[in-house]
Amino acid sequence: MKINRALFSLWGLFWLLMVAVEVQDNHGDHGIQWWEPYLWEGSSCLVATLWLLLERVGAKRWDEYLDVPWRWFAKHLAWMPAVILTFIPTIYGIREGVYALTTETYEHEPWSFIFIYESIKLVLFAGLWLGIIFGLESFARWRHEREQLLLLQKHLAESQLAQLKTQLQPHFLFNALNTISSLMQVDVERADRLLTRLADLLRSSLQAGARDMTSLRDEIKLLELYAQIMQERFAGHVTLTWKVAEDALDAQIPTMLLQPLLENAFRHGVERSRNPVSVLVAAEKRGEDLLVMVFNSDSVLSQTPSNGIGLRNCRERLEVIYGARASLRIENENGGVAANLAIPFKRP
Amino acid sequence: MMRVLIVDDEAPARDKLRRWLAEPADIAIVGECADGLEAAASIAQLQPDAVFLDIQMPGMSGLEVAAQLEAAQAPLLVFVTAYDEHAIKAFDLNAVDYLLKPYDKDRLLKTLQRLRARRGDVAGAGASAQESAIRTAREQTGASGRLLVPQGEQLQLIDASSIHWLQADDNYVHVHTAQARYMLRRTLSDLLLQLGERFVRIHKSVAVNIAEVRSLSPLFKGDHEVVLRGGAVLRMSRRYKEELFGKMGH
Repeated sequence: MKINRALFSLWGLFWLLMVAVEVQDNHGDHGIQWWEPYLWEGSSCLVATLWLLLERVGAKRWDEYLDVPWRWFAKHLAWMPAVILTFIPTIYGIREGVYALTTETYEHEPWSFIFIYESIKLVLFAGLWLGIIFGLESFARWRHEREQLLLLQKHLAESQLAQLKTQLQPHFLFNALNTISSLMQVDVERADRLLTRLADLLRSSLQAGARDMTSLRDEIKLLELYAQIMQERFAGHVTLTWKVAEDALDAQIPTMLLQPLLENAFRHGVERSRNPVSVLVAAEKRGEDLLVMVFNSDSVLSQTPSNGIGLRNCRERLEVIYGARASLRIENENGGVAANLAIPFKRP
Repeated sequence: MMRVLIVDDEAPARDKLRRWLAEPADIAIVGECADGLEAAASIAQLQPDAVFLDIQMPGMSGLEVAAQLEAAQAPLLVFVTAYDEHAIKAFDLNAVDYLLKPYDKDRLLKTLQRLRARRGDVAGAGASAQESAIRTAREQTGASGRLLVPQGEQLQLIDASSIHWLQADDNYVHVHTAQARYMLRRTLSDLLLQLGERFVRIHKSVAVNIAEVRSLSPLFKGDHEVVLRGGAVLRMSRRYKEELFGKMGH
């Protein structure tokens, strides 16, 4: 997460302040050389910075505890003894070393006092800085999550919009209406039957638009209505086969997901072919997955797949709902084109 | 009497048109076709006065059928479609006749009225309406990559890129490919309009596929000899040399 810049800027300012205070405190004290305050604070700063860097590198694995603050602090504070035991000897070692190079002597309180005094100071400062780090990390995480959420919501909304758009293509509706208009000149009952089917299909698709998921059973009913209308239009030109396994019917499936696949089989298979075409819809449960195939004979995928809005929309919905757990492949198979869909049997 | 051809791949749609077109006394239905190739053959054979041409058909769409017609001799065309946003915009723009499915009798009768008016004015509105319909169809199908040619008793579509050169001969055009020679009852100028940029005229009666030109060598008086990759040796008159040079990037 990108909080290090803010953190180290604050850290720099903090130590500038510490040095300034120390220099100010000893100003005018003639027993003290000008460089001594810098040495005292500099050595502390050096060791503290090493520990901060260690925290930055090593504490990433505790990020998951950001949601449970006391555990996050506990994990960090468990290291306090180690900090104290390295911090005090190191800074005094450095200071003694530098003094030894000069003619000055380092005068300080007895070791027992120093140990207690420095330990308390360290715990207080560590608490302050852990609070700051915790705040920055939490803010960064909150912002990241909000971005993810917004992105997801945007995708979802777009996909839902597109879903409404692609439900029952105008191409299909107007052609169905025309078939009815033509049929009623010669066979009123057949025309009436077709009109009723179209009304059923419209009703089902409107209901489907209000829900995200449905059972395969209901989705197949919708496909059957669609297929009946298309069969009426292309009577004698198409044979339809359904191979839907009984135990697949209870699968949960996004509403109107299969309709564009069947529509493609008709548009690219049946409508473009001069020969009779067979269309197959098959579904089965395999392990934890539902497999669905929509196949039409007598056509070849175009070299440059146009990926119409119907298919693209299917893919996006799959991505939003299942992520990598679903797949949809369109390919040439046995002299025709098959759409193979695999999704988890139950909604995640 | 207006002789009419019906083209639609759906039987119920043909039935409806046949029923309604049988009613007016001045209309005679000369045939019905269920796909594009059949329609092209019937138009050539039956020479109808008008064609009701469905757009969405297997094999060859109604627009493709229209794009292959000789503009000046084409029948009056009425495109029929359920839904085709792009084409409909273009039809409106160019005053091309069309019927939207589903249609009722009133709309069909209005269309017939317009056809009669156009037919009564062959020299003026009629002729330009036909040409406009065919030009629009060609625009909609893109500079046609395919050409419909007679093959024995039948028609077939060949790739325009497989054509080497074209030769006008009275009322016909000979189409030369690597394998065969086809004879079309078309004019060279309209065929060139249909085939688009890749062909260029090098003589009053000859045009070549630019991609097929192997070499050019000067003859007398500014004429040139054009040798094609296929081996044909043709003569380019100086009147046309600018166009070929221009397109070949000279």
